[in-house]
Amino acid sequence: MVQPQVVPVAPDAALILAWQAGDEQAAAELVGRHARPLARFLAGAGAPEADVDDLVQETFIRAFRSVDRFRGQCQFRTWLLTIGGNVLKDFGRRAARRKVLPLDDGVRDATGDPHEHAEASEAEALLAAGLQQLPRLQREVFLLRAQQGLEYEEIAAALATTPGAARVHYHHAVRRLKEVVK
Amino acid sequence: MNMDGYARIESLAKRLGNAAAGRLDVDATARKVVERLREQPVRRALWIQQTWLQIAAALVIVVGGAVVASRLTQKGHPAVSAHAAHFVADDLGDLSAEELRGVLAGFDEMVGSNSIAVPEGSTDLRELDAHQLRAVLRSLEG
Repeated sequence: MVQPQVVPVAPDAALILAWQAGDEQAAAELVGRHARPLARFLAGAGAPEADVDDLVQETFIRAFRSVDRFRGQCQFRTWLLTIGGNVLKDFGRRAARRKVLPLDDGVRDATGDPHEHAEASEAEALLAAGLQQLPRLQREVFLLRAQQGLEYEEIAAALATTPGAARVHYHHAVRRLKEVVK
Repeated sequence: MNMDGYARIESLAKRLGNAAAGRLDVDATARKVVERLREQPVRRALWIQQTWLQIAAALVIVVGGAVVASRLTQKGHPAVSAHAAHFVADDLGDLSAEELRGVLAGFDEMVGSNSIAVPEGSTDLRELDAHQLRAVLRSLEG
């Protein structure tokens, strides 16, 4: 019986080094690994669905342009998500200046597949709306913990806070969201 | 809050954004990102150039300001000297070469003569009191 050949998976750090050396394929590989979790994070944080693709691209562009500043204090994905938070904040500012739909309206995109909209539960919609009412730090801690499944130490390193503070932010967020969703 | 409440919120959170992520064309996104990154070196070079220009301008302002400030603090009456220098420069700038020669000749004559009433025993104007200084100024006026 022929054993399946195991292809070693390069860690993110190796791909980052390869990208810094000019390897475009390494950049594409990093995008492939982290684009969907990033899209989930951005959508959960209030990005309109129609803009998620652009915001994902913008986040990767910013990340690759400033990758010299990534010191491995947390995982690459966690660092990427925090950049995504900044990109989304800038997007919100621009949208406010143009006086287009606020982010929380964009979460419930009226375009798209009606069947998928029907699948989205009312509770999810309430949670999405409740997240928009939270302070940014609470919202990001909540998403990094509850949606992305990160440990408090990892969250704290990414958001330049302490694990204890991250835990407090998380519990405050859950308490407020529970009141909204009940 | 009971743990059921936590579990429910966390369960909902895990589903948030799934639809948007599912619709994302990852390969196309990767292609677009790589294409945009190809433009990066030019933009980066421009950005670095602009940044260095800004830093250089800031340094010139800071160093220039520091030099001026140190000169002003070293001199006894900075405001007066700066003010005087300004007006002398303005006035001299208005004079023709012939007029400038005349001023210099007059100044030499004044300094060389004994018409300036410097008090006895004084070698430095800074040693004079207010009364003595007034006397010197009056003698300069002629």
